[in-house]
Amino acid sequence: MSETRRIALIVAWWLLLLAGALAAQRLLVVSSDLRSFMPPARNADQKLLLDEIGEGPASQLLLLAVGGAPADTLAALSRGLNQRLGSDPRFVRILNGEMSADALDAQLLPYRYLLSPTLDHARFDADYLRDELQQRVQDLGAPGMDLLEQLLPRDPTLEVLKLAERWTPPRMPQMRSGVWFSPQGEALLLVQTRASGFDPVAQAEAIGAVQSSFDALPSATSAKLTISGAGYIGMRVASATRAEAEWLSALGTAGFIVLLLAAYRRFGVLALAALPLASGALAGILAIVLVFGSMHGITLAFGFTLLGVAQEYPIRLFSHRRAGADAQTSVLGVWPLLRLAIVSACIAYVAFFASGVAGLEQLAVFTIAGLLAAGFATRWLLPAVMPPKFNDVADSRWLERARAALARMPRPRWLPWSVLALAVLLLWLAPTPLWQNDLAALTPAPQQLLQREGELRAALGAPDIRYLLVLEAASADDVLRESERISAQVDKWISDGFVDAVELPSRYLPSFGVQHARQQNLPDRATLTAALGAASKDLPFAEGTFAPFLDDVEQARTLAPITPAQFMRSPFGARLQAMLVERQQHWYGLATLSGVHDAAALAAAASALGGNARLLDLKAASEALVIDYRARILVALGIALLLLAVTVAVAFRDLARAWHVIAPMSLATLLALAVLRISGVSLSLFHLVALTLAAGLGLHYALFFERRVEDAAEARRTLHATLVCVLSAVLVFGLLATSSVPVLRAIGLTVALGVAFHFCLSIQMAPHSARSHAAD
Amino acid sequence: MARLARPAPATTRYTEVRFVHLLRKPLLLHGELDYGGADHLGKRVLAPYKEATVIAGDAVSVTREGRAPRQFGLERAPQLQALLASFSALLGGDAGTLRKYYTLELVENAPNWKLTLVPKDSGLARHLRRIVVDGAAGEPRCFSLNEANGDGSVMLLGALADAKLADPPGAAALDALCRAAP
Repeated sequence: MSETRRIALIVAWWLLLLAGALAAQRLLVVSSDLRSFMPPARNADQKLLLDEIGEGPASQLLLLAVGGAPADTLAALSRGLNQRLGSDPRFVRILNGEMSADALDAQLLPYRYLLSPTLDHARFDADYLRDELQQRVQDLGAPGMDLLEQLLPRDPTLEVLKLAERWTPPRMPQMRSGVWFSPQGEALLLVQTRASGFDPVAQAEAIGAVQSSFDALPSATSAKLTISGAGYIGMRVASATRAEAEWLSALGTAGFIVLLLAAYRRFGVLALAALPLASGALAGILAIVLVFGSMHGITLAFGFTLLGVAQEYPIRLFSHRRAGADAQTSVLGVWPLLRLAIVSACIAYVAFFASGVAGLEQLAVFTIAGLLAAGFATRWLLPAVMPPKFNDVADSRWLERARAALARMPRPRWLPWSVLALAVLLLWLAPTPLWQNDLAALTPAPQQLLQREGELRAALGAPDIRYLLVLEAASADDVLRESERISAQVDKWISDGFVDAVELPSRYLPSFGVQHARQQNLPDRATLTAALGAASKDLPFAEGTFAPFLDDVEQARTLAPITPAQFMRSPFGARLQAMLVERQQHWYGLATLSGVHDAAALAAAASALGGNARLLDLKAASEALVIDYRARILVALGIALLLLAVTVAVAFRDLARAWHVIAPMSLATLLALAVLRISGVSLSLFHLVALTLAAGLGLHYALFFERRVEDAAEARRTLHATLVCVLSAVLVFGLLATSSVPVLRAIGLTVALGVAFHFCLSIQMAPHSARSHAAD
Repeated sequence: MARLARPAPATTRYTEVRFVHLLRKPLLLHGELDYGGADHLGKRVLAPYKEATVIAGDAVSVTREGRAPRQFGLERAPQLQALLASFSALLGGDAGTLRKYYTLELVENAPNWKLTLVPKDSGLARHLRRIVVDGAAGEPRCFSLNEANGDGSVMLLGALADAKLADPPGAAALDALCRAAP
């Protein structure tokens, strides 16, 4: 093949990959939906968590503070922001303390008598109306009552204002110039996004919209906007993690390039080395697109990590290229072992596919497709584009010295057994809990952000993001009835100091029963007209002033009760929508809690409520899911190891040989685990995935060192390939281990340690090295 | 301006006639204004009902006979804040505060004078057209309020609080009373 043709083929391959990557980017939906990652829910709380947590009312709140300017300017900015964001469909509601009397749409106005609690204890008789009208006269005795004058003819008892007051948050910050202010003198706003709090992409978009709306306000430059809330912190943490991962990966890639150049002394390898891995990753993504359509971001990250073993394939090919032999001949020398490694890994990952967890199934499909494609590329495509002249690495002197030194190394039979005993002892002595169940602890938010969030949350009286009071019933109306039933007891929790405020769904919408009872208490037109006449006899109101009032009451008497669906279309409807949800023909009421002081007492009090009321601890529920996920991963890994051993044994048709491959790999994994544990690391999903990657690499080392080779030159090539692989893995993952982000550190440290142990133990436990080639 | 300043504390009786378009005749209120220094103003309605409004700094409380006092921050209603601040400033002779909210115009026709305050801020102007203070020598005689929706009130102060008024009192007659020589 001519050199031009070869280069053209390489370029074509890269272009094909690039086109594939562009297509994959369009086709693959990277979801942030926990359901596509976590195991299926086992109980109602987990189901609710998976269905609801992202849309949970408290997690959708952004907390805003505007400071750094005189109070008047800040108040004007707060009002301006309220106005701008209010018309943005990305936001459900904006609260800044501004009182609005249009709590109800005009066509819902007659429903005020069914929604307001006034008629629970009062009747519209002459006495009640006289008292109310007298107060209205006194209201009119003060100046500045335009708003009241507009309301009065239709609503002399001011039910609309009572509702507006009822629907303001239960605890409010102090007011200045008509808007909320913090004790530190910043204007405060509470913004509820339509997007789920756990959808980082949509949250980032909403946060961008808040910032740009603010920047567009006049005199915005003189003030400073601070954003906080679960979504904001999630976004900041994700971008910080990404930035650090990218920077460390770039450094790792640079180091890898230097290593490749040092190992093969040819620039040509750089264009070739990444081809199988890139092809594998693309194949994995396309397989996911075909089979599942979408993939969770965490699963994708796990998949790329596990696919890291494929980086070994081209290195084996490069290092085992013999002097004078062409690439096609060389590849035949290493292919049987590579094929065994690939096939056994693929069979092992079938265990993941059988786990029944969507995330693990995706991981299996991604990894198997990726490994097969990378293997195919290495065996059939890469040799075709290898340069015809290639250095035989077996020629180098230092390599022979290293090989000889390693061959002379004593290999006492007791050593692996002592390592095993040591590992077990270290595991036994480990000072920390075995598992870390809190996924958030792996990507912790900066203390400063959390503190600010806590301050704003307290100042705004915003609901807690960890606890929810859950009411469960067969219909929406049953949930509302349940909410009404417990509301007196819930008030007692507040006076007992368990919690500062509880927002129940019945605060917004009464049950049909209550609406009906209020309706029954409305007088008919003739009675009301008479009562109104008697009430206003000595008052200076003009004749006929209250005709709209008479009309509304008459209409309210015959209205069908307002349904949740109707109410959800009103200005305050979005609040109810977040608190009243249907899942699988079952209805849930989600009451938010603010200022939780005693969670244990609350949980006890909630279960004492009877019915289906309970306190949902979102953190505990999500940790239970993580534990479930981990249990399944552990089972899958156990089966995978078994399948791997069986595959290797069947391929070798020799149990002793299989033992020589499986034993060092298992022992090194155990040792890596023991060293992590004794240094105080609690294990997470990320550690398990990293250990799996290391084990996959370890399998290669053990397979190649176990191989009986005919000459010392081939042994040198094996050592060379393994050294390049080990050094590159230790370099790339060792860099990750220096990260300040725990999740990157977890992956980096585990893989780097694991690879080092796999290398040492597979050399130490190799069966032939001591005897063979001594004569050579 | 100094002519307006009351030494604190000072109590002035008043009679207020409020014209509200929703009511078929004007409200006639009798009461007292308490001026307790720069940040403290009390307005007590004694008849035909009893109601006490106390403005202390930023906080307003309204107490009606037989009901729990209602507390609310002036911040709730910024337009009310400016209005009440101007009462307080008028009684304290605080020209600085008045100029913050209003453009002032003084017309003298000795011994009578007339001070007109027109709101500067468009927010306040949405509710209030102007305030007119009529006085003679060192004494204010009337505070008149013209609201943007056409409502208004005339507050007769001191000796004028006892003036005999027609039933219902007409705007023109009140005007004449305020501008009469002492």
